[in-house]
Amino acid sequence: MTDLSGDERRAVEAQLFRLADDEYVIAERYTEWQIYAPTLESDLALANVAQDEFGHARLWYDLLQDDFDYTEEEVLWRRDPGAFTHATLTELAFADDGWGDAVVRGYLYDTAERLRLEALVDSSYAPIADRVGKVLDEEGYHREYAESWLERLASTDAEGRVQAAVERLFPHALTLFAPGPDEDLIRDYGIRTESLADLREEWLDTVVPTLDSLGFTVPDPEDVALPDARGRDGTHTDDWYDLHEAFTSTHRELDFDRPTRLRGEEA
Amino acid sequence: MNPIETDACTYTEYESGDAPDEYPKTGEGATGAEREVWDALYEVEDPEMPVSIVDLGLIYDVSVEGERAEVEMTLTYTGCPARDMLENDVRCAALTASGVTEAEVTISYSPGWNVEMVTDAGREQLREFGLSV
Repeated sequence: MTDLSGDERRAVEAQLFRLADDEYVIAERYTEWQIYAPTLESDLALANVAQDEFGHARLWYDLLQDDFDYTEEEVLWRRDPGAFTHATLTELAFADDGWGDAVVRGYLYDTAERLRLEALVDSSYAPIADRVGKVLDEEGYHREYAESWLERLASTDAEGRVQAAVERLFPHALTLFAPGPDEDLIRDYGIRTESLADLREEWLDTVVPTLDSLGFTVPDPEDVALPDARGRDGTHTDDWYDLHEAFTSTHRELDFDRPTRLRGEEA
Repeated sequence: MNPIETDACTYTEYESGDAPDEYPKTGEGATGAEREVWDALYEVEDPEMPVSIVDLGLIYDVSVEGERAEVEMTLTYTGCPARDMLENDVRCAALTASGVTEAEVTISYSPGWNVEMVTDAGREQLREFGLSV
């Protein structure tokens, strides 16, 4: 248990939930590609990326349990869907012919992920700083993977669908940098050492030239209106409520509130 | 030519990383109950490879005070699905040391594990198993 209290504790919890929820929800979406990805290699690779992201989500949810006395049910299975603070980029259902969507989403997300993790390396909250290095090591492969697919799709007739994915996802990707209600506390206590505005600028300086060089047109960020639902403040798209219903259904069906009986007991 | 079919495996570069000076930890010089815990941990194998978790470099620290043992370990990657199983194996191994009645296992990711933290013996066994290290 931590001895943090009051506002500092709120700040750490808010940062941990942003991290964990993003990773968990994007992993849930990635798993939808298992057995559907366009090649066996990509099927395996995306399943591995999803496994890594679940691992990272577990790392941060574990910390919430170890240091802040939550249970796994409270952070995940029985949590109000309106309390999740992931960016809407991670929750959207895939577009109908969505492999381009999956590739663009992974690229936009993983690029932001690296910047955010680097801004946590010197976190004032040591348990975060202690874990970030390992996560950063693993994330490198995700970016290489997403970039390699972007390059491949840029030179095929899928180009138009990738462009459509860029246009659809870009406003939602900007919600990665939207503040939650405790953002000022996160900065005041040094939980993260860079502002969201700076992270957003760095991210734009990477993704815009990259997409541009591959022949895609990125909307001017100054002209992009953020979606009504921004995730970080607990507002979400309808896709999220469907996904939440789906991934918690097994937990609900297991009926943990009732004692387990052997089948023969009632025979 | 279809690039999806021709370029499939050419993109990823693997890097092995560096091992910090004091790693891997192998229990060298340990005595008494701590020696026994290390010996027991040498018997625990990774569920995916027939190699001791000590030789894989997963054990970061062992300490025994009175009846209580504490083991700090890591996992090869954060998403390891065998985490609970390994934690339990390690706890049970620690409990076999004489006088130990309580054992706690903590997972640490600092320093982050990489393949350079495998011992020479571990490398040999991994090669025999068919992995290139």
